[in-house]
Amino acid sequence: MIKVENVHKSFGNTEVLKGVNINVPTGSVTVILGPSGSGKTTFLRAINFLEPADKGTMYIDDLVLNMASASKKEILEIRRNTAMVFQNYNLFMNMTALENVKEGLISVQKMARYEALIKAEYYLEKVGMINRENFYPMQLSGGQQQRIGIARALALNPKVILFDEPTSALDPELVGEVLEVMKKIAREENATMIVVTHEIGFAKDVADQVIFMEGGIVVESGSPQDVLEHPKEERTKQFLARFTNQ
Amino acid sequence: MGEFLNPAFLLEIFNYLVRYVPITIGLAVGTMLLSCLLALIITILRYNKVPLLGKLADLYVLLCRALPSMILLYLVFFGIPILLMAFSGTAKSAMLLRNIPPIAFAVCGLTLHTGAYLAEIFRGALQSVNIGQTEAALSIGMTWSQAFFKVILPQASVFALPLMANQFLNLLKGTSIAFMISVMELFGAASVLAADNNAYLEVYIVAAGLYWTTSICFEKIALRLEYNLSYFKRGANK
Repeated sequence: MIKVENVHKSFGNTEVLKGVNINVPTGSVTVILGPSGSGKTTFLRAINFLEPADKGTMYIDDLVLNMASASKKEILEIRRNTAMVFQNYNLFMNMTALENVKEGLISVQKMARYEALIKAEYYLEKVGMINRENFYPMQLSGGQQQRIGIARALALNPKVILFDEPTSALDPELVGEVLEVMKKIAREENATMIVVTHEIGFAKDVADQVIFMEGGIVVESGSPQDVLEHPKEERTKQFLARFTNQ
Repeated sequence: MGEFLNPAFLLEIFNYLVRYVPITIGLAVGTMLLSCLLALIITILRYNKVPLLGKLADLYVLLCRALPSMILLYLVFFGIPILLMAFSGTAKSAMLLRNIPPIAFAVCGLTLHTGAYLAEIFRGALQSVNIGQTEAALSIGMTWSQAFFKVILPQASVFALPLMANQFLNLLKGTSIAFMISVMELFGAASVLAADNNAYLEVYIVAAGLYWTTSICFEKIALRLEYNLSYFKRGANK
């Protein structure tokens, strides 16, 4: 279970997060929707301290943490229990696909090399990239890189995987393969996922919980049926109308 | 002295001067290694904005790049002994200081100069690596130093290497100023030989040839290194 309460964050005088709460049960998928500038990416980055929050409390299983005053050690602890999939993939450019997945297992989790290799190959197989294991990121398409990014996150067996608009930088025809992989890991690996995305279809199919954010607050949250098909708030209806009219 | 550019005479000059090539190379390579170490420390201090030390590192880079290397060398050569004596103040330490060979001061002065330039090269190289690489490394739970040495440095070095090679070639020729504090290296030996024999053109032609050969060799080595370091940018698959 991961629970985050009352997260505040300002950049200069602009308050981008104005007290965001979220509760994600283990093994569930939460999709965060919202227009640009709603603070959804900042919120995700605050969870693993890439963008330290000004205020907030975090609970990961039995770990409780004041997000504003976390020590370096606590931040490291949180990061070792979470993993992130980035919009721009951010695979380590100097490592092959296999090394990208193995690296965290070896240098962070201190796993034996052989064990790490077996595990890395298992996850590359899972995302359908085992035949590219010795390729460098520069030799791979965006969709392939993102699938490896997912394998890298998944291999660490984190308590939660954070997806920051994982398909936004992809060519339209590559979006499908990445979404397929995400659906697959939600089903087969029972991974706990928080996904910031614009893919409403993905939210409908996979999410256990949908959160609509705007202006740094959660406007509406609930099951996909509630939020996507019978939204209560006017703002949510407006936002969703753009997608259904397409 | 016979005819102009007598081959036998040129060969004689060559045989004499070539013995000083190892000294020049030694000075340059030794200085380069120490400079790299110094610049790496300076870069890490600046990159992490370490309190006080980071500012001192900035100041060092600012001051040492602003001086002609010759003045820096003189400051080191004349300044360090006085500084050390002021701290220890005994006659015995003064004796010890006199036994330090000038080449040590030369390496020291050249390192201060080159280190400052390398620190700037390293800073630029770090900026060339996308911030996302650091974020990805931290997000999987790496410590800062793991991220730096496993992810950032290998990528930054590809950017830095051509500039470092440039700096090294500069240094290789820059070692000639060590002659000012009585270190006999290639240029120093050539100057003395030329004056003694009143054969300036011949001696400097040979000296130029030796500098050319040495520089070109190192240039080839740098290109090879560059190729090896950029393995991940090539299409090579296993």
